[in-house]
Amino acid sequence: MAQAQYDKPLPAISSLNKPYWDGLKHRELRLQKCDGCGEVWYPASPLCPACWSRKFTWTRLSGRGRVNSWVVFHQSYFRSYDSDIPYSVAEVELEEGPRMLTNLVGIGNDQIRAGMPVEIVFDDVTSEITLAKFRPRAA
Amino acid sequence: MANFDLKDRSAIVGAGNSPYGRRLMRSPIDLAAEAIINALDDAGLKRADLDGLIVSFGSPIGADGDTLAQVLGLNVSAYNQTWAHGRFTASCVQWAAMAVNAGLANAVACLASVSFSGLRRPMMGGAGDREGAREAGGGHGEDPVYGMTSPGSGAALVARRYFERYHTDSRALAAVPVAFRKHASMNPAAIMREPYDVEDHQASRFVCEPLHLLDYCLINDGAACVIVTTAERARDCKKPPVYISGMQGLPGGHEEFIWAYPGLGVAQQPVFEYEAGIQPVYKMAGIEPKDVDALFTYDAFAILPWIALERFGFCRPGEAPAFTQGGRIEVGGELPMNTNGGLLSEAHIMGWNHQVEIVRQLRRECGARQVKDAAIIQWANAYGDSLIYHR
Repeated sequence: MAQAQYDKPLPAISSLNKPYWDGLKHRELRLQKCDGCGEVWYPASPLCPACWSRKFTWTRLSGRGRVNSWVVFHQSYFRSYDSDIPYSVAEVELEEGPRMLTNLVGIGNDQIRAGMPVEIVFDDVTSEITLAKFRPRAA
Repeated sequence: MANFDLKDRSAIVGAGNSPYGRRLMRSPIDLAAEAIINALDDAGLKRADLDGLIVSFGSPIGADGDTLAQVLGLNVSAYNQTWAHGRFTASCVQWAAMAVNAGLANAVACLASVSFSGLRRPMMGGAGDREGAREAGGGHGEDPVYGMTSPGSGAALVARRYFERYHTDSRALAAVPVAFRKHASMNPAAIMREPYDVEDHQASRFVCEPLHLLDYCLINDGAACVIVTTAERARDCKKPPVYISGMQGLPGGHEEFIWAYPGLGVAQQPVFEYEAGIQPVYKMAGIEPKDVDALFTYDAFAILPWIALERFGFCRPGEAPAFTQGGRIEVGGELPMNTNGGLLSEAHIMGWNHQVEIVRQLRRECGARQVKDAAIIQWANAYGDSLIYHR
């Protein structure tokens, strides 16, 4: 459900990353996949960082991955995060390779482990923006 | 290969700084002027001799280079400025060394000047997070959409990854900030001079876990400056030259993350076992890591010296935790590091306070914290650039 007043930072949507955010809004995790060499990458680029082909397709991914690293904020930098302290930010390595920063849901900060399997959940933070978050899954 | 060999063709002839402090309530340009004048005096040079200027960590937070040149009444033929991001120390010295040898200038002042106490709100995290607002994410791994903000968060992500991969922890890391604070206690210019131990470190609050408050650099005011000229001209200056014998540029690309060496596996880095080999800076200088009498490094966060040690081959990946125990990196140890107290305890002048300290160490001016017989000192960083200096 869209929240009435979401005051946390929102993404800057550009010509490059718009398909990513459109995908999340449609409950799909889509990243660019090279039509030539099959590379999947993040963040968005105008070309394949591996082979420099400009032919790629925004492709739906599995939404599954593992926790590669994580941090826990004990100091608040944004007023909108004050009531969330301490909150974690995790770096999830997707099955398809790229890593992305995210928040984990349904897990305490002290239960997070490296290599922990996770899956995507879609968080409609505004009527326009859906964020990709992750929750623990069975291995 | 290079068209011309810059080994020992340039030198630092003057080093100067303003006072360092937490609430000096002086503007960046005011502080910069003091550091430049002190550096020129140190070199025995006059304002008219200064025809090059490079400002590190310039606009929009530090002293703006254009304005500085104007209001100080300088007349420079070669000028440059890096934006307000801290890691361009070696890049600036390298540019100055190239500029004086290319005939673009005779004497170049390289400096940073900051006055964080005069800022109304944080500029490196939170609502003022300019880095996090970059297209495709912040330079230190920021992603404010998920609450990931401030340079320290990226360092914390590296620290956690390192702890997990090499089975170590914050308690082992404490050796680094504890050593640098010990050095600061011998440095009258340092802002934080009260020594502490591992237990104090562990008891300090987390900022971005796993990093504790004592793993974080200072946020402060101050300026530091060095004057670079050709080796020929350097010999006519007031004090013995500090020659620049080796340089290594700032790397970038898909294998790099600002606070990690290739292979560690943070952000989009591929995972592999990193091999330092013989880094280019040593080939240029004609030395090996074992020849280095003291090592200085950008220690904005306590994990960075570990990364730097492994990146440059002082020890292998995973060995820095053991390498930094038992006083090895302290004055009197095998490889003293950041004898000024570093960004962690002397002051955060973007590494320019380290360059000033290197010059004073090589001139043997450092009193209680003097590294005995210091002849070769290296500046080498987690993010991969380096300078080798010798007397």
